[in-house]
Amino acid sequence: MKYASVVLTVVAFSVMLASCSKSDPTPASLSAVTFKNLAADPPSGGYDPNNGQPIGVTQKFTFFSFKTGAVVSNADSASSKWDIGFRGTTIIVNSGTSGPGTAAALVVTGVFDELNAAPDNGYLQDDKASATAPYAIPKGSGKGWYNYDPATNVISPVAGRVIMVQTADGKYAKVEILSYYKDAPAAPTNTSVDRYYTFRYVYQPDGSKKLQ
Amino acid sequence: MNRLWLPFIAVLLLPIDGMSQEADSLAARQLEELVVTATRTERTMGALPMPVNLIPRSQIRTMGSLRLNDVLTEQTGLVVVPQVNGQGNGIQVQGFNPDYTLILVDGEPLIGRNTGSLELSRVAVGNIKQIEIVKGPSSSLYGSDALAGVINILTERPQGTRASIYSRYGTNQTADLTADAGYANDRLGIYVFGNRYSTNGYDLSPQSFGKTVSPFFNHTVSGKVNYKFRPGTELMVSGRYFQEQQQFDFEVATTPTDKVRTSGQGATQEWNLNPVLTHRFSNRFKLTARFYSTHYNTATNLNLASDNTLYYHDDFQQTFIRPEVNGEYYFNDRNILTVGAGHIDEHVQTSRYGDEAVRKQSTSYGFFQHEWKPWAPFTLIAGGRFDCNTVYGSQFSPKLSARYEISPKFTLRLSGGLGFKSPDFRQLYFNFNNSAAGGYSVLGAEIVQERLAQMDQQGLIQTYYFDPAVLGKLDAERSTAINTGFRYEWKPGHTAELNLFHNSINNLIETQIVAATTAGQNIYSYRNIKRAFTEGVETNMGFPLGKGFTFSLGYQLLFAMDKDVLESVRNGAVYYRDPVTLTTRRLKPSEYTGLYNRSRHMGTVKLFYQSENKRWSGSVRVVYRGRFGIGDIRGNIQGETIPSSDRDNNGILDKYDSFVSGYALVNLSAARTFGSRLRVQAGVDNLLNHKEPIFIPNLPGRLMYASISYSIQQTNKP
Repeated sequence: MKYASVVLTVVAFSVMLASCSKSDPTPASLSAVTFKNLAADPPSGGYDPNNGQPIGVTQKFTFFSFKTGAVVSNADSASSKWDIGFRGTTIIVNSGTSGPGTAAALVVTGVFDELNAAPDNGYLQDDKASATAPYAIPKGSGKGWYNYDPATNVISPVAGRVIMVQTADGKYAKVEILSYYKDAPAAPTNTSVDRYYTFRYVYQPDGSKKLQ
Repeated sequence: MNRLWLPFIAVLLLPIDGMSQEADSLAARQLEELVVTATRTERTMGALPMPVNLIPRSQIRTMGSLRLNDVLTEQTGLVVVPQVNGQGNGIQVQGFNPDYTLILVDGEPLIGRNTGSLELSRVAVGNIKQIEIVKGPSSSLYGSDALAGVINILTERPQGTRASIYSRYGTNQTADLTADAGYANDRLGIYVFGNRYSTNGYDLSPQSFGKTVSPFFNHTVSGKVNYKFRPGTELMVSGRYFQEQQQFDFEVATTPTDKVRTSGQGATQEWNLNPVLTHRFSNRFKLTARFYSTHYNTATNLNLASDNTLYYHDDFQQTFIRPEVNGEYYFNDRNILTVGAGHIDEHVQTSRYGDEAVRKQSTSYGFFQHEWKPWAPFTLIAGGRFDCNTVYGSQFSPKLSARYEISPKFTLRLSGGLGFKSPDFRQLYFNFNNSAAGGYSVLGAEIVQERLAQMDQQGLIQTYYFDPAVLGKLDAERSTAINTGFRYEWKPGHTAELNLFHNSINNLIETQIVAATTAGQNIYSYRNIKRAFTEGVETNMGFPLGKGFTFSLGYQLLFAMDKDVLESVRNGAVYYRDPVTLTTRRLKPSEYTGLYNRSRHMGTVKLFYQSENKRWSGSVRVVYRGRFGIGDIRGNIQGETIPSSDRDNNGILDKYDSFVSGYALVNLSAARTFGSRLRVQAGVDNLLNHKEPIFIPNLPGRLMYASISYSIQQTNKP
């Protein structure tokens, strides 16, 4: 009896091990890429001490493509070459009132590393005419990706906010903004140089929603 | 000032004949350890079922304290929490904000709070007989709104013929001059007290213009007169007048980078008058009638230094009138019933509410308390209070406490109660606009809808963050409290006490962001949004070491948390940003620290000395406050912005945030008495010169002082 059960156990294990290795070929796992210091229209002349307004801004967005992992020239603003654009605290997607593309986005709450699949629906395009959601990534303190502290004038990314992006060519990506300040200081102050984004993202080139 | 010489008259609440004052032998001191606050009649410390701390006059004298905040800041579990401007420092009890602790002088409340805090330095301590601190809402006799506790300051009563003069000078040109005199015969007793206090203030950030605390001086005059019409019938009239003036010179930030210099004056006046008539109908029945009235007003004007035009004006005045009658009936040694009823009228008139209209509120109330001793070692006190407010309708708050004496040395205590606090005038009528940098407005619940509608019509509203239709009705805040523990007196004068406490608070009123104006200013109002709890342990121990030394040790462990936040953390829905990688992680329940401005650990170690011939006395006191977080502070102090502790941007205080580190204050004092009349004292407070300019603006650094006093005393009773 004793002998038989040992044999059975050994057989069972071998079958399990065999089946595992056969049906689960390890997929090439995606790794997160960190993009540093994306200039989002920084004021060349600093800020006006009288009214706090930026001096010497171009009012132009800086465009980014997940496919190339690089900034797209502003001359290509009317194309589908870019997915998202940055200017100050505003982030736009290439669609609707912001661009000719079909990109869309959705801000979700969670831990970046744990969000392994892009949601099936809920994505929005930019639509300035909309009273409720003029931007897919909502503007304003606490509403979208950042908090503004009126006492220190510091913009900080809200912990646990991840932007899910449907790119201009129908692929998926997830993005976490890490800093709004040049060289991503751990504790920015109101004298830190702002309008420089540091963010990390995972881009899935195969068109699936799997972000891992 | 015509008000300065109000007729000061008054009565002993409960005359205890033959009790000699100022006798300092151990036996006499024990006799003196009578507590009034908890039950409104005198009880010995050990006989009370609720947690009570007592600070006798002798201790206050040895500590060399001048103002109430000096005394309270050295007590276990109490924190004098600073306001942003270094003014209006209130007291935190069992982790509650200052709004929830009543400050009483001879059983009557002090008024004139600024954003909920009562400036403790308004109270001079030279005429204090003892201070009693009752924690928890366990007494129904003073009002239901004291959710955290009651601090009752009992002032000196007319006794014998006496007079004294005291003078002290110290760091920051702080000068104090105190004098008192008393006379008493069989029928009449008079006691008068006067104090002048002045200081040049102090500056914790000399790099910017203006002082942290601007120079001020104040005067206090108080007195009591009691007259015995016949045995059992007495009238006592007590009164107090206080006035303060402060000179301001500082910079105000108008934009994030611009400042203007201003100068001006602040003035505060306060008076109260309390006639109390006591009549003993029989050995069993005593009736007390009182008519307490008090008034507080303050005004501040700041002018621009450049052209001397008015830059800022603030005024506030409050009147509080309370007639009350209470009767006490001794059925027998085992049953004592107290029943009372009264009425409160309160008026407020201030520029802070946008106009100078008078706002009124009145409350009628009744209370009872029954003390029952079914058998010798067991005491049960049941009480209740019924309040009927013109704005908030009626509320009933019951309390129950019990005490069981296992042996003469060891006593168990348990008390519990419900309390409620109705929204204050500020939460209802505030109409405040801070136009300085990053400006904002705060609108009280009663006016928020109307004001928002007006602004909306004028096209001033950019966005709504919150549906204003839901605003406008505030409910009373409610708490449930439980205190339990023991007192162990293993030898006379050797005591150890432990108290476990839990306070659960619902309907807490917090500011709620409502809208933003087109100019980018946020508009806030008030809402019942928060649920919180505070719980912990307080333990105190004291015993003589021999040769005139007495040692005491106190410790408080405190957990104060937002229930909703804790629930979200437990559900895994709260995140934080790693301060190094800046990436988001999920917060574990053990990593949530709790409410801002609460220290988990606090403690005191004290050594008092009095030589056998009483010529020498002295003390070494160490007060420790553990680390705490700072949050929710808008504005700046002395041109420096106050960074929030919330380093990881999740809006709550957790392990990964920055904290104000723990610190210990070491205070020393020594006194020598020459003969029986002359006394010289010198001392140092904050010997280690600990300073935290931004986070603890009410801590001025090392203070040295010397004082001299002369007193004559003739006790005309044995």
